[in-house]
Amino acid sequence: MNTVVMSASATDTTVATTVFAVFMLLTVALGLLAVRGRGSGGGLAEWSVGGRSMGTVFIWVLMAGEGYTSFSYLGAAGWGYNHGAPVLYVIAYMSCGYALGYVVGPTLWSYARRHGLVTITDMVAHRYNRPWLGTLVAVLATVCLLPYIQLQITGMGVVVSTISYGAISLNWAYFIAFAVTTGFVVVSGLRGSAWVSVLKDILVIGTLGFLAVYVPLHYFDGYGPFLDRVVAEKPDWLTFTGHGGSGLGGTWFVTTSFLNSLTVVIFPTTVAGYLGARNADALRRNAVLLPFYNVLLFVPMLLGMAAIFVVPGLTGSASNLALFKLVVDSLPAWTVGVIGVAAALSSIVPMAVFMLVIGTMWGKSVLGTIPRLAGRPDRQRLAAQVVVVVAGVLALILTYATPNTLVRLSLISYEGMAQLVPMILLGLLWRKLSLWGALSGLVVGGTLVCALVFTENDPLWGVNAGALALVANVAVALAVSWLGPAPADPRPDEEVLASDPGPEESVPGRVTV
Amino acid sequence: MLKRPTLLWLLAPYILYLATLPLTNRIHPTVLGLPFLFFWLLLATLLTPAAVFLAWRGDKRRGRV
Repeated sequence: MNTVVMSASATDTTVATTVFAVFMLLTVALGLLAVRGRGSGGGLAEWSVGGRSMGTVFIWVLMAGEGYTSFSYLGAAGWGYNHGAPVLYVIAYMSCGYALGYVVGPTLWSYARRHGLVTITDMVAHRYNRPWLGTLVAVLATVCLLPYIQLQITGMGVVVSTISYGAISLNWAYFIAFAVTTGFVVVSGLRGSAWVSVLKDILVIGTLGFLAVYVPLHYFDGYGPFLDRVVAEKPDWLTFTGHGGSGLGGTWFVTTSFLNSLTVVIFPTTVAGYLGARNADALRRNAVLLPFYNVLLFVPMLLGMAAIFVVPGLTGSASNLALFKLVVDSLPAWTVGVIGVAAALSSIVPMAVFMLVIGTMWGKSVLGTIPRLAGRPDRQRLAAQVVVVVAGVLALILTYATPNTLVRLSLISYEGMAQLVPMILLGLLWRKLSLWGALSGLVVGGTLVCALVFTENDPLWGVNAGALALVANVAVALAVSWLGPAPADPRPDEEVLASDPGPEESVPGRVTV
Repeated sequence: MLKRPTLLWLLAPYILYLATLPLTNRIHPTVLGLPFLFFWLLLATLLTPAAVFLAWRGDKRRGRV
């Protein structure tokens, strides 16, 4: 990993580092204040989904906070710098997914509320009436999610090291990322993450808005000359397949965006946001408002392309710092510090929610199935909190010891999670999807993803490998459900299936059981 | 879907971002200096919330939510 060596004065270093330190303390304090006066009651649901009490504003802040990760500052700018157009898939899938969330959000919310569920793993356990299925899904999902924690740790490490002009080493920066996040999420759970998201969203909107105006003016005399120059000199960045033989063409863009839009609505961190809502209408309003946030994603992509002209020749992981090169190069130390804090919080908030959902899945569906913990939300909550620390420590150790293990795993993370879509979404809507059908589909889809990705056949024939695997997944799930054995389940459809709740269920405080 | 046609609005982003790509994957004409693909996707990003709003308004009018 390259750290940027800057010819910075000692004052610059002190100023930027102090700004950063103050905001990190503020972050932990804010996270802890979120649960002031709430005591330790409420069990797992209070910690995991904020007691299902958040209104439209908090849900918006939290979900915007989750969606805008360290990738947005680093990877998006880096992709923009290296390839150009293909990076737009991030905006496409998030917009499509947020729109889809208009129906999926309330559906999952009402299902979870009716049956007292806190995450996707106990949803499948309830749907298929098999606690062990929840355990299995929890373990698989953890394998897919751990790499994201590491990505946030390393992402924040690089940012912190850069904006401190090298004064904070990478290894210390990794540790700070872990310590700050664990420091509040263990205690205050989803509610704390939402509070920290308020600070994060304000800083992200403020700093990106500023950079969107400042960088073109400072380096190119405004947007007109900047865009003219890109169109004239870098046309291969501006359409698919983008620059540099990425192999990421239009078909890849469409299949990836489509697949990810289905995946994002059942992604455990998204679902945590859904379940935290006070009522279904808060989620519907949120689905209207959330896509606006995606406009901000254009900023790092464009700045990455601006960096092509300003700092040419970045390669490998250094290109991820395209945006920060511009920032450190042209702005005073305190501004560098504030922008660094915004980027650091973009690692911290998603990381907090990732750790939270891993804790929740294990507290409820893995350790929660042990007789001593079964049916005891207070003990499950304690177990979840312990798992949060363990998962964080594990990701931190792997970051230090074998960084490439999780990087390799991260390649299958999203496409792997996508293979849960039939089991969860189709299963909750369609009774005939049997346990064995859903499970065989998952096995076939998951195996296919691993096989294609690890043999470097992703994309295959220009199509996202996860999308191909999902087709096989659904085909097998349907075939086995029709032809295979159907486990007897005497429960009525209303008990097993989910549906988008009508007005009577949307009124706060009225629970239809 | 048939009982709630207003939900068809939710397909709008899929059409704007994905289905029209063969037509929009181009640099010219530039709009406000933006290469056409970037302009189109920015427009789609601004129209998506509007489409979801129309779905929501349709539900409200029918007393569905």
